[in-house]
Amino acid sequence: MKKLPLFSVLMSSLALLVAGAGQQALAQGAFPQREVTIVVPFNPGGASDMTARIIAKGMESELGKPVVVVNKAGGSGGVGMSMVARSAPDGYTVSYIPVELVMHKALKLSDLGPDSFDYIGQTTMVPAALTVPVDAPYNTVADFIKYAKANPGKVRVGNSGAGSIWHIAASALEINQKVQFNHIPFEGAAPAVTALMGKHIEAVTVNSGEVKAGVDAGKLKILAVMTPERDPAFPKVPTMIESGVKLEFVGWGGFAVAKGTPKPIMATLSAALKKAASTDDFKNFITSRGMIVKYRNPEEFKPFVDSQYVFFNDLLSKMELGK
Amino acid sequence: MDSLMGLLSGFSVALTWHNLLYCLIGVTVGQLVGVLPGIGPTTATALLIPLTYGMPPVSAIIMLSGIYYGGMYGGTITSVLINTPGEAASVITCLDGYEMAKQGRAGAALGVAAMGSFFGGIISVIGLALIGPPLADFALKFGPTEMFSLMLFGLTMVVGLMGASIVRGLVAMCIGLSLATIGMDPISGTLRFTFNQPFLINGIDLVTIAMGLFGLSEIFLGMENLAAAAKPAQITSFMPEKEEIRPTTFAVLRGTFLGFFIGLIPGTNSAIPALLSYSMEKKFSKNPEKFGHGAIEGVAGPETANNSYCGGAMIPLLTLGIPSSPTIAILLGAFIMHGLTPGPILFVQNPDFVWGVIASMVVGNGMLLFMNLPLAGWWAKIAEVPAKLLYPIVLILSIIGAYTVSNDLWDVGVMLVFGVVGYVMKKIDIPMAPIVLTYVLGAMMEKALLQSVKMNNGSLVGLVESPISLTMIVLTAIVLTGSIYAEIKNKKGAIALEND
Repeated sequence: MKKLPLFSVLMSSLALLVAGAGQQALAQGAFPQREVTIVVPFNPGGASDMTARIIAKGMESELGKPVVVVNKAGGSGGVGMSMVARSAPDGYTVSYIPVELVMHKALKLSDLGPDSFDYIGQTTMVPAALTVPVDAPYNTVADFIKYAKANPGKVRVGNSGAGSIWHIAASALEINQKVQFNHIPFEGAAPAVTALMGKHIEAVTVNSGEVKAGVDAGKLKILAVMTPERDPAFPKVPTMIESGVKLEFVGWGGFAVAKGTPKPIMATLSAALKKAASTDDFKNFITSRGMIVKYRNPEEFKPFVDSQYVFFNDLLSKMELGK
Repeated sequence: MDSLMGLLSGFSVALTWHNLLYCLIGVTVGQLVGVLPGIGPTTATALLIPLTYGMPPVSAIIMLSGIYYGGMYGGTITSVLINTPGEAASVITCLDGYEMAKQGRAGAALGVAAMGSFFGGIISVIGLALIGPPLADFALKFGPTEMFSLMLFGLTMVVGLMGASIVRGLVAMCIGLSLATIGMDPISGTLRFTFNQPFLINGIDLVTIAMGLFGLSEIFLGMENLAAAAKPAQITSFMPEKEEIRPTTFAVLRGTFLGFFIGLIPGTNSAIPALLSYSMEKKFSKNPEKFGHGAIEGVAGPETANNSYCGGAMIPLLTLGIPSSPTIAILLGAFIMHGLTPGPILFVQNPDFVWGVIASMVVGNGMLLFMNLPLAGWWAKIAEVPAKLLYPIVLILSIIGAYTVSNDLWDVGVMLVFGVVGYVMKKIDIPMAPIVLTYVLGAMMEKALLQSVKMNNGSLVGLVESPISLTMIVLTAIVLTGSIYAEIKNKKGAIALEND
């Protein structure tokens, strides 16, 4: 036990060194010849990290070589993702790609965009849910919007940080319904939910998994989810579209490698990812964390990322961030 | 009485042999990662979650929470022995713990820290069991507004850390506050002082700063007169001196209540109660001049506070599903992974689980005490290792530790820079403690104030409208006025002298 952290550090630094320098020596033979590294651009313990770790386990049994997860946090995901984008296009360094990738350029966080990577596939969808205190005077989205229209700028909506995915979710609703919220940024979704439970704010639009404890405790209620279909974790809660608001908004996660990775290697990786994303372990984990399993193959994922890039940049340009 | 029965039945879960084993594994891992600089309980808990996949939920959580509070014990050891904090909660212990070690009293420092930790841990677990649920609702009343006022009150404590010269203390404060502004602006998302370095976007890690300021600078200073470095006196005992028992007891009691209270409040971390406890002890002490020169209360108070914080922080988690600190957030993830949603329903549906975990915390704290008291003497021997051997080892450990903060050489560089900064500061006699305290409080205060103002549509009125906030502000005013009055009355001549 004592050696575990040190050992993993040594292993991961070795893996990175090898990934950077050794691609020529090992060019022959079927991929993979050695261990594959998955870079998670966030700290250990979060939903992204856990997703990558379970996928790594699944891919390992498919590839027949170790798949190591390395956390490279910093720069709102920019440090880890940039490292993979700049790595040798040999398939040995894979990045977990969060939805934040398509927002980086607009938020001036990094130069990364959809064209920085070759995509292996999407694995998850992260549903947003409009949630309010249980004793709030509205029970439907329509009532909530009516209240917001009657009280412009008075409805305080908590999010997980300025320019974060859930901030944009609230703005999307705001723009769609031509109302005006007062956006309150918190450091992550959990503190925003806490503030909602203490009634310091009126609503949140964060991942439904984050509000589950509050809903179960009888302190919060969900008015609607923003996914195209109902959330299996809350089958009674309507979608935005069912509630008469034409809006779809989801976070997502997938995997990618550096641009220019050879086709056969891509094929091997995406086949392994597809298998890993269909294991029961993975499905159970994703559902328990309030996310939805959503697999897209490389051919579907790239156009999806492109369309998301357009969608988010359009929203971000209307949001006047940084002012 | 329900909760008492619950706790008793919890022991029947916690005392089964396999849960005892998992508890032992948890606290041992916690102790070890606490000792290693850089790797804190947060990282360790996160890395071990996947290993708990096949375990029964109650054993898994018993083990993971063991890492959490076990880390608070371990962090002390490196702070005292080599002036390098093992994790954030033990940063402040460097100040007097290391001084005590230099005086050959490392055993006493570690012993009193272990006993204080045990007391704080046990009392806060009992508090969690008996009065947890009603307190959780109180904790929810702390929104950004209340948080700001509480931190403002905390900042008045910094005066106590300033040392002899107020001017030098203010310089240190400004350094700490300036460092806290690095990174993304909490409200608008604007990048400040990041110089296109992606690593600076999320600010600088506290442990990295502390390892440099305290640990490395000490090595640099020590290397100047390696030959002259005196061998520390023989370690005598891990008990405090007779005349120290009374102040130490009070420090432990105050630390317990402070830690428990701060633990309740969402959005805090275990470094805060430790820092505040240190300042508070200095204020309460009859010999404040001893602080920074091996005052045992300066070890006992903070080390107790960071442990009782753990019990307090479990209350919002278990009763409402609120993660009040980073490690607790990871524990929450583990709960959910095992199909358990924390909250009032958990107490009704899985009483064996909840009370089993709570009882295991009592058991685990006992284990840690028995591990740490005999070990105190053993660990303390490290202080006898000749500097020529010790310094390179500490340097290597610190570099590895800094690397693990984000798996990148960046943090190693940051630590080295702060090592040099710390060295210069020691040379020109600028106190370090205010930097650390203002760094921790400054970032949180800024965020809370901006949130509060935004929530009130650009007005500061929330600060006086909220009863909790108003109380804190009045208390702040009283403390400030009192201190200034006392200063003027006592040192009419002293201030003039200092200005020379």
